[in-house]
Amino acid sequence: MVIHDTVFVIWLLAAGPLWAAIGLFLLPSVNQGRAESEQISITTLQIAGVIGGFALGPVGVGLFYFEPALIRRTTLTAGVAITVFVSSQVLARIVDPNLPSGLWLLLAGPLWAAVAAFILPRQYRAVEANDQNVLTAAALGGFAIGPIIIGLMWKHTPKISRDWMIVLGSLGAWQIYTLFAIHNTTNPCVASPYHITYLTQQTANGVVIGAIYSLMAVGLTLIYSVQGIVSFAHGQLYMVGGYFSFYFLLHGSNILSDITGAEISINPIWGIPVAAIIVFVMGAVFERIFLKPMHEGLIERVSEYAILITFGFGFFIEYTTLAIAGPFPQRTDRFIEIRRFTLQRAQITDDFAFGPINIIGDRAFAMVVGIILIFALLYFLQRTWTGRALRATSQDRQAAAVTGINPTNMNTLSFGMGSMLAAMSGAALIPIFAWVPWVGAEMVGRSYVIVVLGGLGSVPGALLGGVIVGIVEALGAGCHPDPSRGAAYKEAFALVIFALVLLLKPTGLFGREQT
Amino acid sequence: MKRRTTFLCLIATLAMIALLPLGAVQADGHCEFANYTITIGGLAPLSAPGAVAGGVAMDWAFNQAADDINADCGVQIDGVNYQIDVVTGDSEGSPERGQAVTERLIQEDEVDAMVGVYHSAVGLATMGMLEANAIPTVFSEPWNDNVSANGIREFDGAPPRFEDGIDHIFRISPASSMVGSVIVDWLLSLGVDDVVLIVENTDYGQPAAADEAARFEAGGATVSKIDVELGTEDFVPILSRIQARAEAPDVIRILVTGETSFNLTQQMAELGIAPSDDTICVTNQFAFQSDQYWATVPDGNFCAFNRVGIIPSLFSDAAVELNAKYEEAWGDIIPSFAMASYDAVHIVADAMERAGSYSDAAAIVAAIEATDIDLSQGRYYFEYGAHNPELPEGTPAFMWHQWPDPIVTVMQYYEPGQSGLDAAVIYPEVYQTHGTAYIAPGTSP
Amino acid sequence: MAILNRIESAIDESIGRRRLGYALLGLIILFFLWFPNDASQSNYAKTVFISGFFYAIMSSSWALLAGIAGQFSFGHMAFMGIGAYVAGLVARDGIVFASLGIGITAESFSAIGTIIIGTLIAGLVGLVIGWLLLRLRSAYLALFTIAFSELFRIMMLTEYDYTGGSNGLSLRPLLQIADIDAARQVEYYLMFALLIVCLLAMYWVANSPIGLFLRAMREDEDAASALGVNVVRYKILVFVFTSMIVGLAGAIFYSDVGSERIIPEQLEVLQMSLIIAYAVIGGMESLIGAAAGAFISRYLLEAMREVVISLPLGLTLPDGSDAFVWETGAWRFAVFGVVMVFTLRYMRNGLLYPIITWFSGRDLAMQETVAKRDDDDDLDEQAGASDE
Repeated sequence: MVIHDTVFVIWLLAAGPLWAAIGLFLLPSVNQGRAESEQISITTLQIAGVIGGFALGPVGVGLFYFEPALIRRTTLTAGVAITVFVSSQVLARIVDPNLPSGLWLLLAGPLWAAVAAFILPRQYRAVEANDQNVLTAAALGGFAIGPIIIGLMWKHTPKISRDWMIVLGSLGAWQIYTLFAIHNTTNPCVASPYHITYLTQQTANGVVIGAIYSLMAVGLTLIYSVQGIVSFAHGQLYMVGGYFSFYFLLHGSNILSDITGAEISINPIWGIPVAAIIVFVMGAVFERIFLKPMHEGLIERVSEYAILITFGFGFFIEYTTLAIAGPFPQRTDRFIEIRRFTLQRAQITDDFAFGPINIIGDRAFAMVVGIILIFALLYFLQRTWTGRALRATSQDRQAAAVTGINPTNMNTLSFGMGSMLAAMSGAALIPIFAWVPWVGAEMVGRSYVIVVLGGLGSVPGALLGGVIVGIVEALGAGCHPDPSRGAAYKEAFALVIFALVLLLKPTGLFGREQT
Repeated sequence: MKRRTTFLCLIATLAMIALLPLGAVQADGHCEFANYTITIGGLAPLSAPGAVAGGVAMDWAFNQAADDINADCGVQIDGVNYQIDVVTGDSEGSPERGQAVTERLIQEDEVDAMVGVYHSAVGLATMGMLEANAIPTVFSEPWNDNVSANGIREFDGAPPRFEDGIDHIFRISPASSMVGSVIVDWLLSLGVDDVVLIVENTDYGQPAAADEAARFEAGGATVSKIDVELGTEDFVPILSRIQARAEAPDVIRILVTGETSFNLTQQMAELGIAPSDDTICVTNQFAFQSDQYWATVPDGNFCAFNRVGIIPSLFSDAAVELNAKYEEAWGDIIPSFAMASYDAVHIVADAMERAGSYSDAAAIVAAIEATDIDLSQGRYYFEYGAHNPELPEGTPAFMWHQWPDPIVTVMQYYEPGQSGLDAAVIYPEVYQTHGTAYIAPGTSP
Repeated sequence: MAILNRIESAIDESIGRRRLGYALLGLIILFFLWFPNDASQSNYAKTVFISGFFYAIMSSSWALLAGIAGQFSFGHMAFMGIGAYVAGLVARDGIVFASLGIGITAESFSAIGTIIIGTLIAGLVGLVIGWLLLRLRSAYLALFTIAFSELFRIMMLTEYDYTGGSNGLSLRPLLQIADIDAARQVEYYLMFALLIVCLLAMYWVANSPIGLFLRAMREDEDAASALGVNVVRYKILVFVFTSMIVGLAGAIFYSDVGSERIIPEQLEVLQMSLIIAYAVIGGMESLIGAAAGAFISRYLLEAMREVVISLPLGLTLPDGSDAFVWETGAWRFAVFGVVMVFTLRYMRNGLLYPIITWFSGRDLAMQETVAKRDDDDDLDEQAGASDE
């Protein structure tokens, strides 16, 4: 296990925060009596402990411990000194074109984010301020503006609005991008004059594939909103939806050809409703047998039961499909005969050109299908009686039951429809990707990211989340500093976002706030 | 009470599964067979995470070979006919599992010889055990250079030797250096100097890429490498990155297998990256299974691909017959590793006949070394072994116990939906079918 | 049934169920101790047992974490991988601070040293992850641990310069015994001893006051907290404890005891799902049940590869066959999935649960409490609680 420079520098950097933490707890607790006689507030002591500890390590903590009177002046001096020190460090690193040392700057962001996320919520709770969202803001702020956020948010408890977070988030993104621009000049994401076209191309790639991802994630979120469970069979239902479409088209075309005597091939668009109907029935039957008892109080510890039972269901579907369909890759015909749509290159000024931008034809078609289906679903949920009943059940089961809605039927309906949406996205993607029985694994991982990012239970959140995940994957693979590793880590980029969202803001972008 | 009933039902089901007798099928026939059945162990990945599609084809080939040999009155030793049976163990593509299964085949099934292995990692992991138990082995698909060379414990210009004088491992698949050199020589002869390798993160992809990259660089070309994870579906972001380069690369070489490579090839065609006027696309032997290839890469992607094994125009009667059987069973052209696996069983059976024994490992190894037999892939022989232990200067160590003649060619489709059997062979020149070393996309030779 | 009842009461009156249970357990342990000395058993059979012991450790520790403590983690295999990979990296490179040029070379570590470091690091990562996961419950926790283990697997696969990629990483061999038969014997006893030690340690935890707290937290975290249980401490404790157990098991198993190298494929979600399925089938709330579940399921899955079921139909089908022939090999995981789902639905405590409770003589008391608890449960409240 070789520990490299980067890790070591981070470790050194962490030593500052370590002493800061010691100072934070040591100074106020031991020094309280004397501080009061000299009219120094506890907060000041805490700040002094942090800054002194960070800048001077044990010396700073010791100094303030014995001479609290020094605090005001020293704090000011130290504050200035630290600012200069940090900024000079930053500058030194920026001019140094050596990537590994530049990397620590990138890593210092997360470090500060962690420090701020650790300290600030505690402070908020200590002063009994409203600590909603403080974790998210602290982490974002620590990432974007480093230690300054701690000072900014320490005493005042600003109302942390969504705007705030957007500002901080974009600042952080801007920093990453600047770092890239400085240290990785050959990266196509920053290498002028192509980068505008390139970034647009990658964003377009992300949006197109992301809209298709959304369709599957919407199913997951629908099940969650009504039943309060996450379906771990979703990836396999997606996979099996593709296979139903495939076999329907295969046999359907053969039968039609036999009857008419002419070579007929059915457009794969017709596979979507077929797969949808079959999988809807599958999902509904499964719900009746295995999930209904859960809502009747026959099962202990429902949330774990739900994870395991859906997981087992998926396991069964995957290996049954493998036994029947075999491991050979399959694919249906195309939706449309246009291979790609191209926006031609345009010379805008003498040294700046835009384009070409390419979008694969079938994907664009699948994206349109996906968006239409999502809007159809939204229409169903908003405008029809059954849809409203579903939403009512998801908001308040008891109240819904009082108004004459049968929650049991709503459960079955939601699981059936959720499974159906997975199958529809499978049927929409089998013309685009080679299909094998384990194809669901990668896709379902992505759906979990999307629903958590968008907020479990929120349909618009899933739509937006899908697009964000698509873009992050495209930009991640497209802009990774090491071109040889970018593609291998494609899946990992989304997983990192996932872990961060779960840790910092489990309710996601549009999730219901906790009560 | 309800719970108890259900429970009893479950237990009964489990017990039934555990206790059901094996359904043994005995072939009748016109031949008188001895009581003893010669058992050959096969090793192939039959379940995930191994390459299942490859494994089932190999398993089919082993059993087909055994059936064909038995139909021909089995293995004749001293005037007695012995039936032959191949027991296939599932390596799951994992070295750990491969070792355990090999141990089972040796100790429980008491195999007389071994064939098979798809993944090189499995081959490398099992070799020690095969040597220790003195099992004559013919590997039919692992490509790693060390698979046969590892049999040489001391090799430094001195004649290879074992403490007990024999080495039981043979190989009839090519070493990856042999494949790499053909592809690279071909591309360099076309004058390419800017190469992109797209490589899967596996024990096949990485060593093959390292080998080809070294050869390209020795030939003066610049190489950039892109790693991908097997199972990735959407390659558009990384392909856009290639497209954003100031100049299109001369070659995109795909060292990715299975459905992942089909997705990659298809998306390359849809984006118009390769094959194009600027860029040659070279994919791997999986493209030869044309039904599967055209089903998953429907857009007429005329990538060149490397092919291991005999070229269709030189198919012997035996090969044509075998291919017909495979097509009947699986609906596609036979892959080279199924052919090689079929031949491997024949080589072992043939050696046992000539050795006059199914159990004397030393005699069987000596007989395999002296192999000279025409099978579906051509004439088999082993140039270097105990019968000819001196490897001349400059001969790589893997030539030991290695069939020197696996034919490695570059082929290319030029019509959409074309059968692999009709595709053009474009390199090396001696095998060329259409008199050209490259068919530009959209043209016909 | 009358006869059964009579036997039951005869046992109760003579030696007592509990003692009979201990006697049977003793017999099973004796069997395992005797097994490798049976000359008719091949080395392969021992290999199967060695990996059986390993998976028994994996699934019983998962049962402690998920079944008893209620922390539904999919990251168990990843912690095993951390133990094995760290041990392998230390054995290859030592611990070196590149920028300072100081460190400990690989040669200074013995195999045991690398295993200890691997175990400690697994525990350390367990500490960090356990701390991060405090706020997450059920589905969120499961999703986070899936993400964590996938990230770990992808990194091990992609950073092949350090980890060996898909070729895997060799650890330092723990036992260096030239003779294969003798080596297998020692490996067998080593792995068996490890299983027994781990089970004892886990039983100790589960039956100590800590175990009671864990169960209390599982049932109702807020209530437990209100009653003065330090929820945070025990949650982290059990996470670290199980991480260290699997880290240790991984580091030892891959130190050429069960396998000579760790490969990233071992960390795939499929492998993790098998561990979970073993524990579910054996009984999620019983450590020994989960261990036995792993052992028995692995045996049945292997056995099913070879089974061909042939049912005569009494008529000849168009293709000339007159029997329904079913080769179970390809279907074995599908059957396994069905068994898992039905076990969950109808035998929530695992297929071995009735046997274990019968021997402990607790079944009647247990059924009563379960029934009572069911009445009290308000399902919607529970579903709502999982949203947090």
